[in-house]
Amino acid sequence: MKLTTVWLDGLWDRNPGLIQLLGLCPLLAVSNTIDNAIGLGLATLFVMVISNASISLIRHLIDEAIRLPSFVLVIATLTTSAELFMQAFDYPLYQSLGIFVPLIVTNCLILGRAEALARRETLLISTMDGLAQGLGFFFVLVSLGAIREQVSDIIILAALPSGAFIALGMLIAIHQVIQKTLKQFRAITKSDIKGRRVRTTGNIP
Amino acid sequence: MIFRLALFGLIASSLVGVIYVITEPMIVESKKDARNKRLYSLAEPLLSEGKIGNPINKVLANDAPVSLINPLPVTPINDGKLQIGAVIPFRALDGYSGTIELLLALDIDRRIVGVRAIDYKETLGLGDKIDVQKADWILQFNGLRYMDLSPTAWAVTKDGGQFDSFTGATITPRAVVDALAETLAYFETYPEIVGGGK
Repeated sequence: MKLTTVWLDGLWDRNPGLIQLLGLCPLLAVSNTIDNAIGLGLATLFVMVISNASISLIRHLIDEAIRLPSFVLVIATLTTSAELFMQAFDYPLYQSLGIFVPLIVTNCLILGRAEALARRETLLISTMDGLAQGLGFFFVLVSLGAIREQVSDIIILAALPSGAFIALGMLIAIHQVIQKTLKQFRAITKSDIKGRRVRTTGNIP
Repeated sequence: MIFRLALFGLIASSLVGVIYVITEPMIVESKKDARNKRLYSLAEPLLSEGKIGNPINKVLANDAPVSLINPLPVTPINDGKLQIGAVIPFRALDGYSGTIELLLALDIDRRIVGVRAIDYKETLGLGDKIDVQKADWILQFNGLRYMDLSPTAWAVTKDGGQFDSFTGATITPRAVVDALAETLAYFETYPEIVGGGK
């Protein structure tokens, strides 16, 4: 697996918030203000990176039977630590995020990455994947927070959970449109290159 | 394998234990800081002359309203030897999602210096406008005394009072205004609790 694919996947092609639609509960619930979004985004990123790294490190030590309990153990440990750090360094933020800090444990994005990637890949790839996916989630969370905070003064709906669904739907739609245009563009340039390609060596299928 | 899992558990819990031991004093400190900051910002108009004293627990008579805990910790603001005001915690039990904890600063004539919501679980984006970080709503009480308004005016506009509630949420401001009115009325009857005379 290439590092560029890992980064592209996390940030754009398979973005956790826009394509995989994982971790929707915190994404919808905590995106009502920018401050909350940044706080929870960073906490999730922290848990994500270290959980991917440590699961990659212990991947040879665990077999099928204790795989899931070990993952949950790692994630729960990290989330509790994140909670303690947040209380120590930014108590007001901890207060305004409330229940959603301990709920990072149940964020299926983190368990999903552990299960899908970190238990097979090297430390470097897993850490980078944690970073990429975490940042991808962070950016969606913050954009949603920014949009909802701006709009909620005009339309009350934006502050409510249903507003979060609508705003997220619009973001996904925009993502799809850009993705489609990009694909078409890529197809055009590809055929262009193909047309002008000159055969230099043998054995091209 | 089961021993391995047990070993993981042991390592993980000792890690959390170490982090807890390290952060615990900081957490206590930051909780105290957060509280002091609120006390300070609330009592600021009084603090140009005075200092925040140590809270004193006062036992209330049986007719105390539910908005006050018994015994009531009253933090006096002192100027030298004289008390010039007090900061009192109170609560609104009938918020939209549970109890709203508030702080109230009064000067010695029982005029409101400030009110702040310090702990609440009201709907984010709607009911949380009682928080001064989100909106100026709670500042409208500043400078008022209970006697300045008729008892019926101490309510939200929807209930015939004179305080605005915000769009989309009536229960939260109603709970706050009613609890505040109850509390102030009680201190008019027992002014000695907050250090004032009749």
